[in-house]
Amino acid sequence: MECRGIDDQLVRHDPKIQSLMKEFVGVRVVQFNGTDLARFQFDYDQTFAMFFMNADGTIYGRFGTRSDMKKADREISIDGLGKTLAAALELHKGYPANQSAFVAKTGPAPRFSRPEQYPSLKGRYQATLDAAKPVQSCMHCHQPLEAERKMFRAAGQPIPEEILHTWPMPDVVGLSLDPKEKAKVRRVIPGSTAEKDGFKAGDEITSLGGQPIISIADVQFVMQFAKTPARLNAEVLRGGKKTPLMLTLDAGWRRVSDFGWRVSSWDLRRMATGGLKVDALAGEALAKAGLGADKLALEIKHAGEYGEHAAAKNAGFRKGDIIVAIDGRTRRMTEAEWLAYLLTKPAGSKIPATVLRGGQRVELQLPTQQ
Amino acid sequence: MLQRTILLTGLLLAGTGALDAAENRLERVQKDRADVTAGGLWVYNDLNQGFAEARRTGKPLAIVFR
Repeated sequence: MECRGIDDQLVRHDPKIQSLMKEFVGVRVVQFNGTDLARFQFDYDQTFAMFFMNADGTIYGRFGTRSDMKKADREISIDGLGKTLAAALELHKGYPANQSAFVAKTGPAPRFSRPEQYPSLKGRYQATLDAAKPVQSCMHCHQPLEAERKMFRAAGQPIPEEILHTWPMPDVVGLSLDPKEKAKVRRVIPGSTAEKDGFKAGDEITSLGGQPIISIADVQFVMQFAKTPARLNAEVLRGGKKTPLMLTLDAGWRRVSDFGWRVSSWDLRRMATGGLKVDALAGEALAKAGLGADKLALEIKHAGEYGEHAAAKNAGFRKGDIIVAIDGRTRRMTEAEWLAYLLTKPAGSKIPATVLRGGQRVELQLPTQQ
Repeated sequence: MLQRTILLTGLLLAGTGALDAAENRLERVQKDRADVTAGGLWVYNDLNQGFAEARRTGKPLAIVFR
């Protein structure tokens, strides 16, 4: 199911969801202009995100997770939403006696309180929509994230890991959670930190970092804002019994996350590669190109054609080229690893690259931009 | 002259595409608003009204960013 599907069922069709929603005041927000960034902190690349709150602003939980632009049902389902809605109602029933548990569910103070205050958005967008141009004046959720990255780029500073590898899936520490549940472990990846920490398939995560957990998005929120390296207190239900555990976040734990699916990654491609979308070759395609499994082999799937997204094309890169060396490096990289590496280079750099084109090696220079 | 004509034609076509996209999106947003508000369960794009309603009824809020 795509986000559009779950949204449709939420609004209209699913009787169980409708029944639960009658217990809430539902608010649908379709613009990001004027949003209180201190209150509404979530993965801004999501196309569907929910908050469950008390009227006094206390946040009970969040919902809405994805790690693929096309396969949203990997992390989201109407069953999971129903369980999260029911859990939010339970938390509300216990309020205000349980109030102290929710304090950390509001994240740290953001750099700007409203999105239109970011330098690259200031003047382009207002806090309210222009009635004459509602579509053109409507800010999207991912734009503040892009604006945050641009600030570091413009200052000649590296983009911090928590903004580049933002809101990773729990999978990166070995926890594959079931989208049909709130935050239930479907599988623990062998050899992962989660396995070493003692997590097991079937564990229902009820608390992490001292916060009540009612969704996968809640787990991501705790991980996103944890000061790492960290050992987070966790509580799981295992066979109906509360079981205390710890979840380890090692230094650099985010770096294995794939951010190539994100809408905001297009702006990273503009900065780091002059507008190239690449995919790592694998299997037969790799063998056909005569390259070893440990070698760099990034096929250009798309070369931007307009403005700053055309910088690589203008430098001679073509769709179908296979990049086999970048800045003297020839070891295998994913697209996210290649972007993260190139973003360590200052804007205005020309990075030596070798591509395979029709079986010939072609030497080019990849432009980086602000 | 030819180059200028090609450039202008390209810009006009690009502009027309952008306008079409904007109109389609506006239509989708207008339809969404009509659909969402028809059931009477949702407050549309007004957080202040939503919080006021939650205070009045004692219900929790479910806020969707879409």
